[in-house]
Amino acid sequence: MRRRKFLTLMGAAGAGLALGKTPAHAASNAHFEGYPDAKAVLFDATRCIGCRKCEEACNKVNKLPAPAKPFTDLTVLDTERRTSAKAHTVVNKYMPAGAAAPVFRKIQCNHCQEPACASACFVRAFKKNPDGSVTYDASVCVGCRYCIMACPFNVPTYEYDEPLTPRVMKCTMCHPQITAGELSVPGCVGACPKEALVYGRRKDILKIAHARIEANPGRYVDHVYGEREMGGTNWLTLSGAPFKEIGMREDLGVTSAPELTSGALAVVPMVAALWPALLGGIWAISKRNEKTADEERAAAVKAAVAGNQAENDAKLAKFKEQAEKDKAGSIEREVKKALEEAAAAAKEEEGA
Amino acid sequence: MKARPLLRWAGVLCVFAAVSVYCIEASGSGDPKAPAAEQADIVLIDDMTAYGKLELPPVVFAHDKHTEALKKAGKDCAACHKQENGKLVLKFMRVADGDAQAMKSVYHDNCIGCHAQTAAKGQKAGPQDGQCRSCHNPKAAAGKQLDMGFTNVLHYRHAESKDIASPSGDKDNCGRCHHEYDKAAKKTVWAKGKEGTCRYCHLDKPVKDAALGVEVESFRQAAHNDCVTCHLGMEQKKQATGPVLCAGCHGATGQKSIRANDKKVLDKIGGELPRMKRGQPDAAVIAVNVDKAQAASGARIYAMRPAPFDHKAHEQATDTCRACHHKSMDSCTKCHTVQGTKDSNFVTLETAMHGLASTRSCVGCHQTRQADPKCAGCHTSADRGKKASNESCRKCHAEPVQGLPALDPAALSGMKAADEKPLAEPYLAARRMEAQVFATEDIPEKVTIKVLADEYEPSELPHRKIVMTLLKNMKDDKLAGYFHGDMGTVCQGCHHNSPVSKTPPSCASCHAKPFSPNEPGRPGLKAAYHGQCMGCHTAMKLEKPVATDCANGCHKPRKK
Repeated sequence: MRRRKFLTLMGAAGAGLALGKTPAHAASNAHFEGYPDAKAVLFDATRCIGCRKCEEACNKVNKLPAPAKPFTDLTVLDTERRTSAKAHTVVNKYMPAGAAAPVFRKIQCNHCQEPACASACFVRAFKKNPDGSVTYDASVCVGCRYCIMACPFNVPTYEYDEPLTPRVMKCTMCHPQITAGELSVPGCVGACPKEALVYGRRKDILKIAHARIEANPGRYVDHVYGEREMGGTNWLTLSGAPFKEIGMREDLGVTSAPELTSGALAVVPMVAALWPALLGGIWAISKRNEKTADEERAAAVKAAVAGNQAENDAKLAKFKEQAEKDKAGSIEREVKKALEEAAAAAKEEEGA
Repeated sequence: MKARPLLRWAGVLCVFAAVSVYCIEASGSGDPKAPAAEQADIVLIDDMTAYGKLELPPVVFAHDKHTEALKKAGKDCAACHKQENGKLVLKFMRVADGDAQAMKSVYHDNCIGCHAQTAAKGQKAGPQDGQCRSCHNPKAAAGKQLDMGFTNVLHYRHAESKDIASPSGDKDNCGRCHHEYDKAAKKTVWAKGKEGTCRYCHLDKPVKDAALGVEVESFRQAAHNDCVTCHLGMEQKKQATGPVLCAGCHGATGQKSIRANDKKVLDKIGGELPRMKRGQPDAAVIAVNVDKAQAASGARIYAMRPAPFDHKAHEQATDTCRACHHKSMDSCTKCHTVQGTKDSNFVTLETAMHGLASTRSCVGCHQTRQADPKCAGCHTSADRGKKASNESCRKCHAEPVQGLPALDPAALSGMKAADEKPLAEPYLAARRMEAQVFATEDIPEKVTIKVLADEYEPSELPHRKIVMTLLKNMKDDKLAGYFHGDMGTVCQGCHHNSPVSKTPPSCASCHAKPFSPNEPGRPGLKAAYHGQCMGCHTAMKLEKPVATDCANGCHKPRKK
């Protein structure tokens, strides 16, 4: 097969795929905006006083081991912490430039509308529930920890000190407890003395967040963090200081993680299923062409060989005859030479 | 082979020459030295930007440093500034700007010329020819001039000074500074009784006034020309006078000393500043302008009730006349009509009186006073976004008072301020200016909050003490006193969103005991208590109890 022909075929196949995909994509305006009655939590950093009651409640509700220092010890806030397998939520203290007093921020799973952890998990251990929470099923987890790598908020953690059955650990928005009717609101929300955390339908919570910004001129940055970040989250944040100054990423964009990867991942079936068939076909065609060519060559050789046989025989005979002739001539010459030598020797002897 | 060492030496010399040239040039462009006098005197000479792209960075010039140095050398302002019509020209060594080359020469010849002369005398001198980067220094510190304003106290000090004489021999000093341009006489003259603030005519930039046929100096030019020239003249006559250096007016230390002197003067006259002598009213009535013809036809006039206004009290409460009279000394209603006029930039009377965006409006200015920690506990930022109550409207828009003539908008339209005074004064006199509260025995002394007692013992709130402290905070404040003149207004700070009452409903009437996810917009009872107490304590800057100190602050841990 010629190189040009191969490329033409490949190009046509590629264009076909592209054409096949585009209209389908354009015809759909489906955009997942979250489950209609999904719940959300609003964290208001301007209300948080850094008392760690939420951490304490989380620990109690999730039956986590007691921490090294008690929850009443506020010196813990002096070092910046992240979530761990034993603390699904932590409060950090920040001192934004120009602020008169420190600002506190609570960190936990943000419960993305379209979670990166769930999209990275190939055994579907993560699930986005209709109540807005993102939960994890340890029974199917293989421990690859892709979820930990995928999370843009650095939230899921791993039980590294659990030798036999390590699990990925993160906030569940108290989904199991609320489903079981043990709690009406997540543990942290119920424990907050300042209602820096409120819980309700995401739609209502968003309205409340915007209403607070409008009703309190100058108190807030005019942005609800999580309304659109990474496709939107079910944990929203209001702040008086720029979000960057309280340790929140401002570079995430508004596209959800699955949406970002779906383009590349959609090619995988094409490569896995289509390419073998396509390349196999191309190989079969070229193989068949080669076989025909071989047969044709063999026939041509055969015909050529048959036509030349007689001529060759004649030539051979001629050569043979010539060779015989040469042979006979040389014998004769040698005999003659020997005879002459013998005659000369006899003459010398007579002379002596 | 023989030429090689020679070549090597030549190379070494070349590199050495290049390095030393670079270093000499660079040595002039060091980091800025310690900021002289808070950098108030640092002037950026960037006049050349008007002529196109700069070859070198603009010059950073320390004005006070030069003034001091020249004074020591026995020279004065004339060393750098020319005179025109008996006044110093603020430009350096010229009366008007020339072309780029001429401008460059003015600076280079005069600056470097003077530096060279000084150096020739063996004295310490500034950068000279070739040390370009010493003046054109991109790393030099930028200047930081604080705004200087002429306050009422400062005005009083000038008006009462015996050293400042009015040019026309009048007993008041007004004419020494206040002027307007007389086109016929082609000079500035004093228009008695028409004095305004300098900024009415002297704007941010010089303006060509077509009607007068003159260029009106910018405020900056006018202030420096008149203030500094006068101060300098008095200083030369060895009289006590105001600042002559940049830092004196525009530096923090300078301003602090001005304020200290202001206070001394105020203390001497008993703390109350005498009013300005400009014939301003003691009291007036602010009313919408009503179409007189329409009113005469007997048609019913729909207008807000006029607002009696205590001009005298507001003079005492503000720093300058400009605080309200931002464009002219005329009455607000002259430009701000119901529909707005071109002169008012179509800012309506309603906005001019109530707009929150400006501190010149009545409500805008009153709200800035709420930022005082004494007031901020109740008047939070949330309060600022709220619509004012009907009671607060009536505070200014006078309800008819029995026995007093009603204030008729039609009659008040176009009335002279002098005629408004007798109408306004009885209304103002009838106002109650002290904050009121219910009888002491009606205010619960202690309130025990026990509905939430679980982890902690019930919390005891020193209720009466809080009310009395709030009232005490308002004692000497007329504004606060007037607006809290009704019994129960103070209570509304905590007992909000319910009608004023001696027995307001309990907090739990509206705030559900646990937070309810069905109504996430309304705080649960626990958050309502904490929000109210902690929010107020933070706004009032009360250090104790610390919000996170549950067990030692307001609660006692419950014994198990």
